[in-house]
Amino acid sequence: MRAVAISLKIPDNTAYTALVTLRRLCVDVHRLERSDIYFFESDDAAALAKRVAADETIFNPNKHRLTVLDEPLPRAGEVWIEPLAACRRERAGAWRLFDETGAPVSAAVLDAAIERLLCNPAIDRAVTGENARDRDNGNVGE
Amino acid sequence: MSGRIAVLVFPGTNSEDETLRLLRDCGGDAELVHWTQAERLREYDAYVLSGGFAYEDRVRAGAIAAHDRMMDFVIEGAQRGNLVFGICNGAQILLEAALVPGTGAIRKPTAAFARNGPAPHFVCRHIYMKLAAKPSRCAITATLPDDALVPAWAAHAEGRLAATPEHLDEILAGNHLLFVYAHADGSIDETAIPNGSALGCAGLVNREGNVLAIMPHPERDAWNFNHLDRRDGGVLAPSGGAALFRSFVSAVSS
Repeated sequence: MRAVAISLKIPDNTAYTALVTLRRLCVDVHRLERSDIYFFESDDAAALAKRVAADETIFNPNKHRLTVLDEPLPRAGEVWIEPLAACRRERAGAWRLFDETGAPVSAAVLDAAIERLLCNPAIDRAVTGENARDRDNGNVGE
Repeated sequence: MSGRIAVLVFPGTNSEDETLRLLRDCGGDAELVHWTQAERLREYDAYVLSGGFAYEDRVRAGAIAAHDRMMDFVIEGAQRGNLVFGICNGAQILLEAALVPGTGAIRKPTAAFARNGPAPHFVCRHIYMKLAAKPSRCAITATLPDDALVPAWAAHAEGRLAATPEHLDEILAGNHLLFVYAHADGSIDETAIPNGSALGCAGLVNREGNVLAIMPHPERDAWNFNHLDRRDGGVLAPSGGAALFRSFVSAVSS
């Protein structure tokens, strides 16, 4: 499985609103990036990128940036919000948080952002690189 | 209680005018309060959160608004016993603020009005809400008759009550389920539910009975001109869904 992140290269008002709200909630975050994650069964990253870039229902080259991720896991400082009710893994909403040095935020800051705003546990599952690896290693139940 | 009602307007709220008009037609002393005037909410005895798309539903429906300064006053007021009535997006905000069902900590939601199911589409459908508890369970419905049927319009893409099985059990055990979807004759079955809502839920109440969150819009079926076959009192007379607003105004004034 591969994951593709599609983000805005124009100003992202939703990300800005979330950033301002997180700061109001005393989460120490300096910058926030939002993207949509799509999951595909594919071995060839270049071919996948070409195929997704040609799909105008999810990618508009005038406003979107497309990244094929190295592995189908959240990056450092990133959480993927997935619906609990989803029958299979198709897409997620991703939030990536950075501190004032430009580095991804710590796990503690990310957890605070998840708990205070980014995830409603009644309907969403928050996937971070840390808990996804734990899950893959069988350390937590699903 | 002096009975002043604030209709909250967040950026993106879009049903405030008909909500305000119906409150006034039902005898309420109601005014709009915009998000830039949050401090004014101290002056009011009850709050109505109307429909729309507060903060453009950014992050999730109701998520940003639940942390707005205005909600600080609404939460404080609710905890003092003031009445709070949320409709559609207003209901989503109340669940995100965790004022309803109120089984957890404030702003730690235990349930949500989530994406409709099984088809994840916007629905616009005339429905009936039926009281699933005694009217006195909630101060806002206290003057409605037993088993009251309230006509309204379901108009949402995210109106399906969703929660973990444990939290759904809490909702039932705590008698938080106040309205369910029903047919015009009062019968209840799956086909009356427009959105796949768990428990057939159309509305939830908090433990104390002073905060009500409903997804359908009774204010869109509330005057005779919404149904020209209604004759009593002329086309501008409140009717239909106005019964719920009358009950709310009565509770605020009592």
